[in-house]
Amino acid sequence: MNLLITFVNGLSLGGIYAMIALGYTMVYGIAKMLNFAHGDIIMVGGYTILLFLSVNPIAAIIASVIFCMAVGIVIEKVAYKPLRGASPLAVLITAIGVSYLLQSIAQMIFGSAPKFVVIANLGTLKFGELAIGYNTIITLACSVVVMIVLNLFVKFSKTGRAMVAVSEDKGAAQLMGINVNSIIMITFAIGSALASLASLFFLLKAPTINPTFGSLPGIKAFTAAVIGGIGSIPGAMVGGLLLGVIECFAQSVPAVSPYTDAIEFSILIILLLVKPTGLLGKKRREKV
Amino acid sequence: MKTFKKIASLVLALVMIASCAMLASCGGAKNPAENNTAYKIGLTGPLTGAASIYGIAVKNAAQLAVDEINVAGGLDGVMFELVMHDDKHDPAQVANLYADLYEKGMQVSLGTVTTKPGLEFTGLSVDDNVFFLTPSATGDDIPKNDNGFQMCFADSNQGTAAALFFNENYMGKKVGIFVKADDEYSTGINKNFKENLDASFEVVEASFTGDASTFDSQIQTLKDCEIVFMPIYYTPASQFMTQANSVENSISVYYGCDGFDGIDGIEGFDINTVPQEVSYLSHFNSNATEGAAAEFIAKYNDKYDEEKEPLNQFGASAYDCVYAIYEAMKTAKSAGKEIPANISASDLCEMLKDVFTSDSFEFRGITGKTEGNEKSVISWNADGTVQKEAIKYIVKENTAG
Amino acid sequence: MSKLANIKWKHYINYIVVGIFTIVTSILAFSGGLQQSLIYKLEEVAINIILAVSLSLVVGFLGELSLGHAGFMCVGAYLGGKAAALLVPVLGNGIPTLLISLLIGGICAGLCGFIIGIPALRLKGDYLAITTLAFGEIVRTIFQNTSAETFGGAIGLKTPRFDKHYFFIICFIIVLLTLAVVQNLIRSKHGRAITAIRDNEIAARATGINVTSYKLIGFIVSAIFAGLAGVLFSYTQNNVSSSTFDYNYSIEILVMVVLGGMGSINGTIISAALITYLNKQLATVLTGDLAVLKDLVYALILIVIVIYNNSPAFKNFRDKYNLANLIKLITRNRASKGDADDTRRWDVVPTKIKMDALLSTDFVVNDVEPDKPKEKDNE
Repeated sequence: MNLLITFVNGLSLGGIYAMIALGYTMVYGIAKMLNFAHGDIIMVGGYTILLFLSVNPIAAIIASVIFCMAVGIVIEKVAYKPLRGASPLAVLITAIGVSYLLQSIAQMIFGSAPKFVVIANLGTLKFGELAIGYNTIITLACSVVVMIVLNLFVKFSKTGRAMVAVSEDKGAAQLMGINVNSIIMITFAIGSALASLASLFFLLKAPTINPTFGSLPGIKAFTAAVIGGIGSIPGAMVGGLLLGVIECFAQSVPAVSPYTDAIEFSILIILLLVKPTGLLGKKRREKV
Repeated sequence: MKTFKKIASLVLALVMIASCAMLASCGGAKNPAENNTAYKIGLTGPLTGAASIYGIAVKNAAQLAVDEINVAGGLDGVMFELVMHDDKHDPAQVANLYADLYEKGMQVSLGTVTTKPGLEFTGLSVDDNVFFLTPSATGDDIPKNDNGFQMCFADSNQGTAAALFFNENYMGKKVGIFVKADDEYSTGINKNFKENLDASFEVVEASFTGDASTFDSQIQTLKDCEIVFMPIYYTPASQFMTQANSVENSISVYYGCDGFDGIDGIEGFDINTVPQEVSYLSHFNSNATEGAAAEFIAKYNDKYDEEKEPLNQFGASAYDCVYAIYEAMKTAKSAGKEIPANISASDLCEMLKDVFTSDSFEFRGITGKTEGNEKSVISWNADGTVQKEAIKYIVKENTAG
Repeated sequence: MSKLANIKWKHYINYIVVGIFTIVTSILAFSGGLQQSLIYKLEEVAINIILAVSLSLVVGFLGELSLGHAGFMCVGAYLGGKAAALLVPVLGNGIPTLLISLLIGGICAGLCGFIIGIPALRLKGDYLAITTLAFGEIVRTIFQNTSAETFGGAIGLKTPRFDKHYFFIICFIIVLLTLAVVQNLIRSKHGRAITAIRDNEIAARATGINVTSYKLIGFIVSAIFAGLAGVLFSYTQNNVSSSTFDYNYSIEILVMVVLGGMGSINGTIISAALITYLNKQLATVLTGDLAVLKDLVYALILIVIVIYNNSPAFKNFRDKYNLANLIKLITRNRASKGDADDTRRWDVVPTKIKMDALLSTDFVVNDVEPDKPKEKDNE
């Protein structure tokens, strides 16, 4: 019974990681950059929810999604676009810079004190002994839906196909008449919207927020994206859920609990040794 | 030949810079506070990053105390000045910051806000013989040198006190411990708590690390306990309590240490949604509504933004620290010692040490047990630890029925 | 004289500058003319130079992205620091203790480098990056949860502190050692092999380069020096805490390497020194209420410099107002070590595929520059 409960808890945490990892993986797939500021978009989303919560929870969620998309686009335009064509490492460094920037701006505006953001009390669903919070169900359902929609979007919509083309070969995509800049912008907007949704689910589960709120889920989601195979949408989902379950099981054993991070990362390394491109990652042949 | 010239010019440039540095730093061995016109109090603490709520409260409250003293005329006309550097709760930052403070004329210090940087500060300040009275670095090793004093209860003290309380009141109940495994404050208290807890207790331990805020697994581990001891800070504690609400549990009491103070002040958190009793053993209650503490809280909230920079026991303790140093200097002065504004840190340290360790010195502060409008009585042991009465604050009673 | 004139001075310029800097500051220190706060800054500058130079071997020359450099440092700091703590009662707190603990810290970190080098043989780009990051976090978590008697657990390990007035001299001597080893390695035929792997692994393999062993060598040498930096760090602290070595520290070292110009040792030295100094200086200038601006200023500087330095849009502007000249100006005034002019010479092998191969991506569209014959050097 306890194992089952832990498993469900793991899924609910994993759903959040999956949501963030989906954004990570999208951005990586298109822009080929590690967006270290992605975690901090979650924080921006959380604070936006806090600001608009007094109006209406639904309005707050919508505002947060829109604001995060705007922030994502601005960051892309200001910090990443000038570096298109430069070394990916340079973009990595600006992403880190942006991350510091967002955190210090948040501290200046909201202070560093943690704030409770109670969006809604959703209650629990009981199956005999097993009680599952509605937030768990919503998180899981939403992340699955988002994954499927994203997958369909990428596979069948025109913009989605353009994204695939851009991720395969920017130059060729441009020759085919695809506006690479706007495709990258759309990707960032989607990634940031997912981050703001993730902040919503995170706050439903653990309702506090502070300026460094995003960095831990950010790094965990990065791990999840790599486990699943970075660049792969179903991979991010699988990676996120797997990581969440591992984390909850590790934490449920008191003797092992302090080593949770080490265990997660060890599993990552072992998995990468067996499958060097993650669970569902594509293997790329190198040409000389 | 060209390269020769290049190198030669470089060498010359270096020598020039070096001589400049020499000039600038003349008198390094002398008293760096020589040109002070006010007493300089220095400290470091986290002003940015995850731990900054504690550092910022200390900064504000200490500044409040300094301002009050200065408005009242300082110490016989000599004003006080406070300088606080940001150590980000990272011990590696402290050496540079400490040296900077000392060279810019720090004469007396509040040490650091947190323990890990505090250990570094302890080691550095003893060389220059700088007196420090830390508001909140609870580590047992902080006051190990003669120049170090604490305003807060040491970890061992807190752990032991909590264990004794458990032995007295909760005998036979199942005890859970929720500890932050990578935090020296939490592990330090926990170690002493377990050592002093009666062997007949059934103990279950759960832990977390870092900034984690989802505690489902830990709640599963602890849900059958009746009393949960939480030697952690209030933010994760409030998370645990909120998340435990949605799980059927037999917990009836959450019991914390001084890190719990402020739990009922978190913006947006309604403590009454927690059915269990929430109580803690500490020296200050930042939601006190009467007595000397309440007066201070009102003054603090008057001056600072309650939402952005809320008060907690760290701040209260820092306020007391500044006043304690002020009182001690006054005592030394009335005993015939001379304290000019440019006294060296070492000389001042000797005076303050004598005062603080003397039996007769009693400071009346706002932390510790206060009776009515009377301030609490605080004194120091020879080893630098504080003597005051701890109080068990019940933030809220058990409302589960 | 003719012999002297034949020596290619610019190849030794960084030894000379660092050496002279060390001698001058030592003389100042012995005459009591250095402020303690400056000495602490110098210690940290030296440690960060060692870290950055050793990381640039992996990132700049071997072409693998490593985000776990602080992990090697952690191993060095804990094991070397523990050795020192155990040896001080026996041998006293002097040079012998220091040497033995440096040896132990370096070797242990080197072993870890070997361990992390093995996945590096199989993984590429970001996958390797996350593996190294994971390694760093694993090491940190393990030391964090040790018992109080072994490595101090959460509170950290108590380590002996060397004489605080003169320890920076030892740090700078190790900087020179690092430079000697890393530069000689790069300038040797092995270094050619390493850069060949960076530029095109398959082609390198085809020409008969033993990719496996060179990759391992790169990781091990880099880890050894990170370990040494860790031991030195433990000597500058009274108490070494594992929380210092989180991935943010690794990233900070990476920032130094990238800003210094990948594959340029002199640039790395300059940027490591400047960034460290800047950070330390900001921390003492922006105090109290202004502390929150510190990260803001640092972040803005970072973004602006990287965009200015790397953006294709600024390329013409850059060529006109050469940054190298500016840096030179600054470094002359600030007594930093290194000659910025040197950044584009011997240690950058002109190659067709630049560092873009690093993240195993085919991102770059129009940045493939044709080989330009640079200053003939016969190097």
